[in-house]
Amino acid sequence: MYGYSEFDTAFVRERAAQFRAQVERRISGALTEDEFRPLRLMNGLYLQLHAYMLRVAIPYGTLSSAQMRQLAHIAERWDRGYGHFTTRQNIQFNWPKLRDVPDIQDALADVGMHTIQTSGNTIRNVTADHFAGAAADEIADPRPYAELLRQWSTDHPEFQFLPRKFKIGVTGAPSDRAVIRSHDIGLQVVRGPDGGLGFRVLVGGGLGRTPMIAQEIRAFLPEADLLPYCEAIVSVYNQLGRRDNKFKARIKITVHEHGLEAIREKVEARFAQVRTEFGGADRALLAAIRAQFARPALPARPVAPFEAARRADPVFRAWADTNLAPHAVPGYAIATVSLKAHGATPGDAGAAQMRVLADVADAYSQSELRISHEQNVILPHVHRADLPALHAALKAAGLATANVGLISDIIACPGMDYCALATARSIPVAQAIATRFEELKLEHEIGPLKIKISGCINACGHHHVGHIGILGLDRAGVENYQITLGGDGSEDAVIGGRTGPGFAHDRILPAVEKVVRTYLGLRAGPEETFLQTFRRVGMAPFKAALYPAEDKARAA
Amino acid sequence: MRPDPAVPARGAVPAGSTARRAAELNARYRHHGATAVLERAMGDAQVGRIALVSSFGAESVVLLHMLSVLDRAAPVLFIDTAMLFAETLDYQRAVAAWLGLTNVQVLRPDPAVLHARDPYGALRLTDPDACCALRKTAPLHAALRPYDAWITGRKRFQGGQRIALDFFEDEGGVRLKVNPLAHWTRADVRDYMVNNRLPRHPLVAQGYPSIGCKPCTGKVGAGEDARAGRWRGRAKVECGIHLARPAAPDIPQTGDDTMPETDLTPASAPVIVTDDGFAADDWTGPVGAPDAPDADAVALPPDADPEALRARLDTLRLIVVEFPGFADGRGFTIARRLRLMGYAGRLRARGHVIADQYTMARRVGFDEVEISAELAARQPAQDWRRRAGWQAHDYQSRLRA
Repeated sequence: MYGYSEFDTAFVRERAAQFRAQVERRISGALTEDEFRPLRLMNGLYLQLHAYMLRVAIPYGTLSSAQMRQLAHIAERWDRGYGHFTTRQNIQFNWPKLRDVPDIQDALADVGMHTIQTSGNTIRNVTADHFAGAAADEIADPRPYAELLRQWSTDHPEFQFLPRKFKIGVTGAPSDRAVIRSHDIGLQVVRGPDGGLGFRVLVGGGLGRTPMIAQEIRAFLPEADLLPYCEAIVSVYNQLGRRDNKFKARIKITVHEHGLEAIREKVEARFAQVRTEFGGADRALLAAIRAQFARPALPARPVAPFEAARRADPVFRAWADTNLAPHAVPGYAIATVSLKAHGATPGDAGAAQMRVLADVADAYSQSELRISHEQNVILPHVHRADLPALHAALKAAGLATANVGLISDIIACPGMDYCALATARSIPVAQAIATRFEELKLEHEIGPLKIKISGCINACGHHHVGHIGILGLDRAGVENYQITLGGDGSEDAVIGGRTGPGFAHDRILPAVEKVVRTYLGLRAGPEETFLQTFRRVGMAPFKAALYPAEDKARAA
Repeated sequence: MRPDPAVPARGAVPAGSTARRAAELNARYRHHGATAVLERAMGDAQVGRIALVSSFGAESVVLLHMLSVLDRAAPVLFIDTAMLFAETLDYQRAVAAWLGLTNVQVLRPDPAVLHARDPYGALRLTDPDACCALRKTAPLHAALRPYDAWITGRKRFQGGQRIALDFFEDEGGVRLKVNPLAHWTRADVRDYMVNNRLPRHPLVAQGYPSIGCKPCTGKVGAGEDARAGRWRGRAKVECGIHLARPAAPDIPQTGDDTMPETDLTPASAPVIVTDDGFAADDWTGPVGAPDAPDADAVALPPDADPEALRARLDTLRLIVVEFPGFADGRGFTIARRLRLMGYAGRLRARGHVIADQYTMARRVGFDEVEISAELAARQPAQDWRRRAGWQAHDYQSRLRA
């Protein structure tokens, strides 16, 4: 995986030193909070409901075991002993003290990490498929492109004060695990007509209060043109994007208002100008980066111990059946560690758990870890023979929950418990759902089902693309939860449809249960997933189950 | 056509001093209710030309509804201080549409004055009274000049300086204030809203029973006064639009009474920032508009298309790109495009650029930054010189070769 060059290291050190001086000016009173605000935002420091929150980028979701240990150290030394993995491959510390933040940034720089551009109206952390470099269906590892984009977007002088935040996601596989259709720019690695690598470029996706699926602006962009083309898109957006209304400032609205054709024309014209500036240094750098992402040597070994354990231990079997994904190299697997223990806060990891994850990565996964947008941790290169031992180690640390992709593997935003914007709680709802289906012992029977919960219309929990989406709102001082069904964040991206009126806090769990039981009653067989059933039967039977009184009223 | 009694003819100046008229009107309407007072006030020659001033806050919808029943074309003045909650702006439009009000006038502080006096929006931290005066009182008093009276939604139960409120008040001998809801109780307000099914301000349900500008409005806890969230932690209880004004003749009835008589713009000239620090402007010639044909120096607003200058790039010696606020980054793209088009002359960023942006300005192709003397005083040369090493640590220079 990528290790910082001397340039990268000097850059983050300089940036941390700058921020240290800014914090000192703030504490002394030389800077007002208003003046300090844009400066702290450029460095990932938010002012939340209770305290400052520091967001650390995990570029393209890849972490080394050493970096994970440092995150554990930071959580213990300067925070309350835990961190929260977000839906955009970041980790957040919720309780840092302002005067400690520069020290935390130095500690991050020690392991080649930073907080730069994790907030503010700028290009954010570039995300990628969390199975990158390991997935069996991959055309090319997307991370070298994501790293090139990281370097290009970092401190880009033209793009530090955009109309609004800007998110780029990259996938190297046809199966879209990076949700690129809900990014401002989505990049899918494809082979061109001549067999060369390049990208299908999508633009204008986003969730939030106006969810939109990204549209294709370029069917094929040669690999060499990646930076000038992205620069052209952002540059056109910087001039055209609305600045009069925060809620209409994302590029999805710009594309919607001007039309894709008009935007494409402007982007192509700007691209022709910008391209002259890139004379090959970017391609040379890409080649050097790519060499660093070469897959580690994965020797062949017998997989018999795996088969034996699978036959002998039903708990291991349940975990292996849900939490493993196919690896490109025979005999190896991608193991997902669920951070969604039933009843726990989705995405939270304590320092001790982080150290266990670092240890098992050293022992079984080439010292590599990944963070997924689904708020789980991934061990990308585990030999199948090592899986029983890995499972045992995880189990001892309370990290062996076998629910990846199942109903209790819920994405939830921090909600009103932490966030100043939220209008309803989301974590307690996630906990209640997970606990309830654990009691019912129905989870494995139900099969693949993605529930996503947001605590306000800004949709940080991606509820629009949840198979079951839950949106918490405030209705006259009372929390009220709307349900959407049929959303999908994969390559077939669909925005879910609303069932009807929302449910009070104490009625949302029974409502979700009703939806699930309706599915179980309707499905053609155990192999038909919730989403497949929904697409076959439509919204009506679910509505009838959720709002029986209205149904009768209409019949009367 | 019969003249509408609710809209007195312009120029019909009521006779008698405001103090005397207020006393007479109070006597005459002593036994009337809110609706009757509002209705009569809008047609009474002794009141004169009248406008409703509304914050579109927690309880404003009551008076707006009453007015809409009487005359949907009556003038309604709404002050957008540029610090309001987004919910208030949305609610303002929704309520105006809902009630069919056709003459809502949105008042805003003068951008040039804001830029000079409060470029960061930080004045409220050091001097909230001055902030209110700048953003609220001054625009309102300017807008009220053509009127003889204005209607407010204040009530006695709100307490503080409002407990002795009458229907009619003399405002410093200048004009009348009419308070139709003066004697209403909290329950009256609530009942009126329920009975007329009026839309509530969305923040009320979130714990804001009184709503002003976002930075100075907080939630109110159980048992607290409804206005406890306003300017919490400060002695301040009124924004200033309702504070007693000195009696005439201290305040002239005509002329500029919108701003305090302090010096708004520093007398000294703007400052040019380069890698060497601060200097005076050495460009002595005129700077024309982008379409001025013979100018050798032009200024571009942030929404300009630099493409329009393509044919003239060889003859222009100075291009100034305006930055209306530091968070508006369009000027960085304009500069970049001018350089990509081959412009080799002097390129200047002018306006609200902060020291921490100097690196960006230089990297996109600006040669210099022009800031006001006021900004230069707040961010001295050392803050800018700290960024003079803008060529180091630059990813772009590694990628573009």
